[in-house]
Amino acid sequence: MDAENAHEFEEACEHWITEGAKHLIADVDGLQYVSSMGLRCFLSVAQKLQSTSGSLILCGLHGLPRQVFEMTRLIGLFPVFETTQQALATL
Amino acid sequence: MDAPVKRLTLPARPESIAAFCEFVRAGALAAGIAASELEKLDLVLEEILINVARYAYVPDTGKAEVAYFAEKQGKLRVEIADSGRFFNPLEVDPPDLSRGLAERQIGGLGVFLVKNLVESIAYSRKDYRNVLSFTFPSGG
Repeated sequence: MDAENAHEFEEACEHWITEGAKHLIADVDGLQYVSSMGLRCFLSVAQKLQSTSGSLILCGLHGLPRQVFEMTRLIGLFPVFETTQQALATL
Repeated sequence: MDAPVKRLTLPARPESIAAFCEFVRAGALAAGIAASELEKLDLVLEEILINVARYAYVPDTGKAEVAYFAEKQGKLRVEIADSGRFFNPLEVDPPDLSRGLAERQIGGLGVFLVKNLVESIAYSRKDYRNVLSFTFPSGG
């Protein structure tokens, strides 16, 4: 997720928020790369959801994206699960 | 004998970033840098070049130049230059990583990531050009 495509994720999330979603689960298992522009989108969506007592839940965060979330200490600001099933079980 | 320097100059636009990454990746592999490090290298290049593309020449356009050479086996020295307005990204205030979700500022993470992914980095202003030089990867 980079400067060229991060907005697509944010737009998709905005769509679901507009539809009334309170919690969103993002399965990022296949994500190989996330730049600061991607982080910006994750953060922006999570802040919007938190303002309505919701959350952006991340599943399957591995490799470089996980390192980036750890480095920037964003990891502690998101509920993170290994699988979507585990995430769904908490809702 | 010094290692040969390779250079690529392209328009300073987001669309050029992929070509710059491919160019430097070839040098990284030739320098013996592990393939597993290449995504980190892409990330560093994107973070620096997106700033050049978005801010260096606004509202005009200009060029970005990327040069590299193998400093030694497994280490690449990369220089990114533009002739835009003076800007030292290393002087940007670091983000406050202790804040909670609601207070977390959305910007400022790019330079922070770059500093954490390279071995060393320096800025200079030479001949009306911004030159950011870094050595990659860290460690080893």
